[in-house]
Amino acid sequence: MSRPHRSEPSSRGLIGQIIDHRWDYLYVLPALGVMMLVIAYPIYYTFYLSFFRTPPSLAMSEKIFNGFDNYATVLGSDSFQQVTWNTIVWTVWSTFFALILGLGAALVLNREFMGRGLLRGLLLIPFVISAVAASYIWRWIYHSDFGVLGAVLFDLGLIDGKLNLLDNIDMVLPSLIVVNVWKEFPFAMIMILAGLQTVPDQLLNAARVDGAGAFHRFWHVTLPHLKGVLIITVLLLFVQNLNHFIIPWIMTGGGPAGASDIWITQIYQIAFGRIRFGIASAYSVILFLVMVVIGYFYVKALTGDEDRQAH
Amino acid sequence: MLLKNAARQRNLKGIACALLTSSALVLPAPVAAQANKTGIDPETWTPEHVRSIAGKTTVDTAAECSKIVPLDYEGELDYWYVGPNEASPQLEHEMYEEFWAALAETYPNIEINAQNLGYNDMLNKLRTAALGNAAPDVARLPILWGSEFAAKRQLSELSPEDVGYDSDDFWPGAMKSVTLDGKTWGIPTNNETMAFIWNAGIFEEAGLDPDKAPDTWEEVVAYSKQIKEKTGKNGYGLVARVNAGNTPFRFMPMVWGEGGGALDEAADSPTYQETWIDSDGTRRAVQNYYDMYVRDKSVPVSALTNTQTENQDPFLANQLAMVIAHPSEYATMLDRASRATGSDKEAAMEVVNNMRYGKIPKGADRRAVVFGGSNVHIFNPDNIDGDLDMEAAKALICFMTGPEWSTKLAWVSSNPGNTRGFETEWMKERLDTIKFLDVSTSMLPSGIPFPPVAESPEIMNIIIPEMLQNALTEKMTVEEATADAERKIQSLLDGM
Repeated sequence: MSRPHRSEPSSRGLIGQIIDHRWDYLYVLPALGVMMLVIAYPIYYTFYLSFFRTPPSLAMSEKIFNGFDNYATVLGSDSFQQVTWNTIVWTVWSTFFALILGLGAALVLNREFMGRGLLRGLLLIPFVISAVAASYIWRWIYHSDFGVLGAVLFDLGLIDGKLNLLDNIDMVLPSLIVVNVWKEFPFAMIMILAGLQTVPDQLLNAARVDGAGAFHRFWHVTLPHLKGVLIITVLLLFVQNLNHFIIPWIMTGGGPAGASDIWITQIYQIAFGRIRFGIASAYSVILFLVMVVIGYFYVKALTGDEDRQAH
Repeated sequence: MLLKNAARQRNLKGIACALLTSSALVLPAPVAAQANKTGIDPETWTPEHVRSIAGKTTVDTAAECSKIVPLDYEGELDYWYVGPNEASPQLEHEMYEEFWAALAETYPNIEINAQNLGYNDMLNKLRTAALGNAAPDVARLPILWGSEFAAKRQLSELSPEDVGYDSDDFWPGAMKSVTLDGKTWGIPTNNETMAFIWNAGIFEEAGLDPDKAPDTWEEVVAYSKQIKEKTGKNGYGLVARVNAGNTPFRFMPMVWGEGGGALDEAADSPTYQETWIDSDGTRRAVQNYYDMYVRDKSVPVSALTNTQTENQDPFLANQLAMVIAHPSEYATMLDRASRATGSDKEAAMEVVNNMRYGKIPKGADRRAVVFGGSNVHIFNPDNIDGDLDMEAAKALICFMTGPEWSTKLAWVSSNPGNTRGFETEWMKERLDTIKFLDVSTSMLPSGIPFPPVAESPEIMNIIIPEMLQNALTEKMTVEEATADAERKIQSLLDGM
């Protein structure tokens, strides 16, 4: 059996290059096989199913081909506009506030002070706690009749009745965003903290010597160094929020009256509540395409950073 | 058909049905129609009647089941069910433990891999499992769910006769829930109706007669308002969460009572092809909810996210006056109160002592309640994981649907699906030890089953709660909300 060897760059054609790299392909084959099975096939099947009508009274084997009807149903439905708007509000504001809070916490934790380790540990708690457990806890904190938050505000004299957050169509989404930000800002904090530790002290000292104040040092030295980390963090948070299911589903189930329904909860409801796998698949494909666009920018941001470093 | 059925009834139903058939000509139309739905005459199926027939029969379950499957049969099967959970009374847990022990003693060579899944999780898991051909051999499902699997032919045909019982031993309404396209797809295990429960202490505080329940839904709205105004406490335990079985079980009795419906399930001869949601009756019911939640603010604000489980704490804390709940609610409250400590325990016990049970109020049209319960099914061999062990499945089902275990497994929370259970010594013991059981049992003849169609879970768990939320959040008017629901149901019936 010949030993695998490190392939040299070749000027041969595509087939030749594949032959040159045959051992490399062999090594990644098992991983590729698993990925095909658990990622590629479900994606293919979701695309396939999105062209079929699957009412609850029919077995899947009796599904009926209906072309692009499911896409038309999704895009033309009364709820699509509201759910899409909710998704945008949920994703953009969750990402924005988690980033701002994470940045602030990271700047604080980047300084040396007594108890820094303890504070860092405490701030990480929301991130490591189970999202399901956190959702139930917050549901009770917010509870419209017996919630802790309402009771505290009432005792302080700040409200004179019940605090209705989860059962109020205007307040429910902002309330859930608060929970989501609380849950994920430590992720942004850790990412940015790692980035802050790469900012060269010499540059900061030089800026200080040149008379730059704290804000100018941050704006002109620190922030440019964080640019790559911030872009990656924003993209990761954005994707995570777009796909975030647990908090809205457990806390409100998308209600009341659809006021906290976002794409992902809507897809779940259509698939498993209404047993319309065809329509849910069409919805998923639309979400998938949005994710592909975001993924493109994510990869571009990553490789762009590598390219900059290479030059 | 009714005459033919009545002639075949055993002692228990013989009394009731003979009266029914002879009185159908003279009974008022709604009563006769109601009797048609359940096979039992509401006028005769009283708490006294239920007590009078209990304890008349003895049963040997092992002997009955050995005629179907030999007791030394060796086999294995997977079984999923919605069983007792952390909110269930201790007694219910003990009954299930006894059941498994008795089954193992009777059929020592049948290995059963049983999974107790929560009500809110099981349906989706089962749907996914059946699609992936990984369903269990046998499953006991809430009454609403089976039709969907039957419509997709994911179940095997199964009738009481297959396990040695007579279909006439089961409530006709329950048999209807396992019948689709003229075939039988399961066997009822237990059937119950809910009851109206109130706190006599709060009633007294509010200046109401503590021992008199509201008789109509109109009175419920008025009582709820009076309680809120006089005591500051919530009157009625309204629930309107989407995707929770609690909501339709509490709302549909009001809809039917007021003369409405989702489909035409409340009609004398339902076709399940007509929608009654955008009707005066349904609008009256939604208006009642609106009046309590929006106009009077006499119910919990959290009704849109709450289920009945969340109402148990305020009820026990003397902060909520009226709820609709299972027959087991008294045992549950007693259990919770006995676990409290110090002054909390004293207060909770006082509430338990103040608990009163009554019939579900009536509306402008009738008194109605959801005919609930569970059915056991065998899955289609094509949809299960591995080979179906039909004999093992029949042994399990014979054991659980017989008069003995259909009574014991329903000890605190329901009633035997096999009506021979009403005649047993265990039923007598239940009636002697479980407070208010006779009241909830006497509501059975007023029960209306949810439509046995594949679309039922979506209609009851999603479309109707959404209709309520649209009205209660004032996103739509009552009229717009019912019209919107009508459009959704119609599109469902059109096969979209």
